[in-house]
Amino acid sequence: MSGGRPVGPARDVPRARVRAQADLRALAQAGAYLLPSLVVFCVFVFYPLVRNLELSLYETTPFGGLGLFTGAGNYAQLLGSPAFLNSLRVTFLFALYTVPAGIALGLPLALLANRRIRGIVVYRTAYSFTIAVSIAAAALIWHWLLDPNVGILDYLLTLVHLPKVGWLTDPRWALPAVAATTVWKDLGFNVVVLLAALQGVPDELVEAARIDGAGQWGVFRSVVVPAISPALFFVGVVSTIGVVQSFGQIHILTQGGPLDSTNVIVYSIYRNAFFNFRFGLAAAQAMILFVLVLVLTGLQFAVFERWVTYQ
Amino acid sequence: MRARVTRRELLKRAGAVAGGAVAAGLAPARVRAQAATRIVFWHSMGGNLGETVVRAFVNRFNASRSDIRVEAQYQGSYDDAINKLRASIQSSAVPAIAQVYDIGTRFMIDSKGVVPVQEFIDRDKFDLGVLEPNILAYYRVGGRLYSMPFNTSTAILYYNKDMFKKAGLNPEQPPRTFEEIEEYATRLTQSGVTRSGIALAIYGWFFEQLLARQGALYANHGNGRDAPATAVVFHEEEAGVRILEWWARMVKAGVATNPGRATAASQRAFAAGQTAMTADSTAVLASLLRGAGGKFAVGTGYFPKPPAAANGGSIVGGASVWILKGRPPAEQQAAWEFAKFITAPAQQAAWYVGTGYFPIRKDAYREPVARETLAKSPQFLTAISELRSSPINRATQGALLGVFPEARQKVEEAIEATVLGRKTPKQALDDAARDINQAIAVYNRTMGVS
Repeated sequence: MSGGRPVGPARDVPRARVRAQADLRALAQAGAYLLPSLVVFCVFVFYPLVRNLELSLYETTPFGGLGLFTGAGNYAQLLGSPAFLNSLRVTFLFALYTVPAGIALGLPLALLANRRIRGIVVYRTAYSFTIAVSIAAAALIWHWLLDPNVGILDYLLTLVHLPKVGWLTDPRWALPAVAATTVWKDLGFNVVVLLAALQGVPDELVEAARIDGAGQWGVFRSVVVPAISPALFFVGVVSTIGVVQSFGQIHILTQGGPLDSTNVIVYSIYRNAFFNFRFGLAAAQAMILFVLVLVLTGLQFAVFERWVTYQ
Repeated sequence: MRARVTRRELLKRAGAVAGGAVAAGLAPARVRAQAATRIVFWHSMGGNLGETVVRAFVNRFNASRSDIRVEAQYQGSYDDAINKLRASIQSSAVPAIAQVYDIGTRFMIDSKGVVPVQEFIDRDKFDLGVLEPNILAYYRVGGRLYSMPFNTSTAILYYNKDMFKKAGLNPEQPPRTFEEIEEYATRLTQSGVTRSGIALAIYGWFFEQLLARQGALYANHGNGRDAPATAVVFHEEEAGVRILEWWARMVKAGVATNPGRATAASQRAFAAGQTAMTADSTAVLASLLRGAGGKFAVGTGYFPKPPAAANGGSIVGGASVWILKGRPPAEQQAAWEFAKFITAPAQQAAWYVGTGYFPIRKDAYREPVARETLAKSPQFLTAISELRSSPINRATQGALLGVFPEARQKVEEAIEATVLGRKTPKQALDDAARDINQAIAVYNRTMGVS
């Protein structure tokens, strides 16, 4: 997270030539270290990205071959399609329902898990175990919980004489229900990252604040939160990117329905590419999503990073 | 999102790698001249039972032949399996034989990557006379059989006989028409026996069946059987609208429940005694009987049909096996031997009693295991009787459509919009038809179909 900063200001300035040589050597060394990951990235990310861009400019055959060149045709079709605009809306809402909730629930759990009490390992495991659950398993568990006939949630509602809710079949509830599944699943990851950050908060800082007369809340707000702000920011960015790419839980719980209320862009890309076999259209959607995530991440850096304190 | 971008590429690559691995595995076999021909069989029979039965078939076949080794590979759902085929069908990285669902038929033919089983049938003088005529009528295209039907089914009505009794309905007389189902569902809910008279999953296949039961066409050009379809027609006549009106009316009145798109949910509701009736494939009969587990008596009945629709009937559902052109002739021949084996009476009977899919051939009912099961559970006869009572015509033969998976999904959206009260039946079907017709146009254009 401190990549942009100058590292170790040089005290004794060597002569320009020696310095240039040293720089070159350092660059070559860095290049050698980076090479493996560069190769992997080029083969699996950048090359496909370029090919995807090409694909998005064609009407493709059902076998994925390039058919008719249509230029921006796919993009025009998408931007004029209410279904795609709905997907955009749903994707934003989905991120809105999941990311803040994931942090809001993850932080208190991480704080609890950071206490020094007997058997804390048990609690830590309990709070973070969803990290070990695959999204498919999580979705299946929630499918049972949310089932209107045999699920526990609706059973509890009937106990208090409330009408049953079709969690996954009512377009008003489906997105919140899928979001709840996602928050639950991602909670483990959030707790682990935030707990690690909390354990890195220097005791001296907390003690110093206490001596200065700060209460629990004051310590938390003025010392702990700034100290873990890089982790909070990291969780925010990573979960946004992750959530926007959600697929498994939607495929298992709602298949994008009812009435497209959970049809996030990624799911709609899947439907278009691997179900409707319109690879060109799906490629164009993927490009739009790519730009979207880029902009979203950029915005997060521009807006939230100023509150982040790097040590 | 990057994963999405690269998925197709990855798939291609994975296909190539898998193909390479298969080829590498085969090379020694070929070197060892006259050793067994190894073939790969892709199937979509998931779940404990499906896999167990398929594995048993393969083991029995391998034990019975020294010249062929079959390796069965589960490929996920029907949709997943056809996707994988699509990515590999024009290469040699294909299995020798693959199971593909009914609605993939047109696409498989158009792919030009298959060897019609008719060629083997003609060469072997294989007697097609033993097959159910309605099944042949579905899978014959232009007078030729392109694939061998393997697991066949129709949609039937399941009902809880105990609930029928409690509501004062005759448990031996299931409802036969739209109106009767509605009446029964109303009676069942109003009598307080259950809160759900019928649970109807939003499944496009039911719409196709209900349309055919009224003798109406799904697509133009004789359901795409006289010439490739260029448009759907289900929205043009009263039949389609009638289905949605009936469906939405029952949900609105609170006598039917909407379990969403997954039939798994309606099956759970039925097995748990939470609904009095449900619609489903006969393929889940064995599992529903096990699910009810003696807690209540399971009744089965025909899918509804208007009394006046003399030319209406059921369409065969399920899947068939296809022999792929990308493999060498020896493997194609081996694949045909395997296809004959799994469609032989003994295997068809075992499959029948294990699942509920009815046999493709009439002589399978003479197998002892079939007779025993029928004596114990006559429900196993419902679907096949329903099919046999169906006249063979363009409507009951079912539509051939290259974009059928997408069309089915669009119809499901239409059902959903109607049931949730967002659109009128007519509007919903018109919207679906417009989207499907656009997809058909793109398909026909890019595939060079005319």
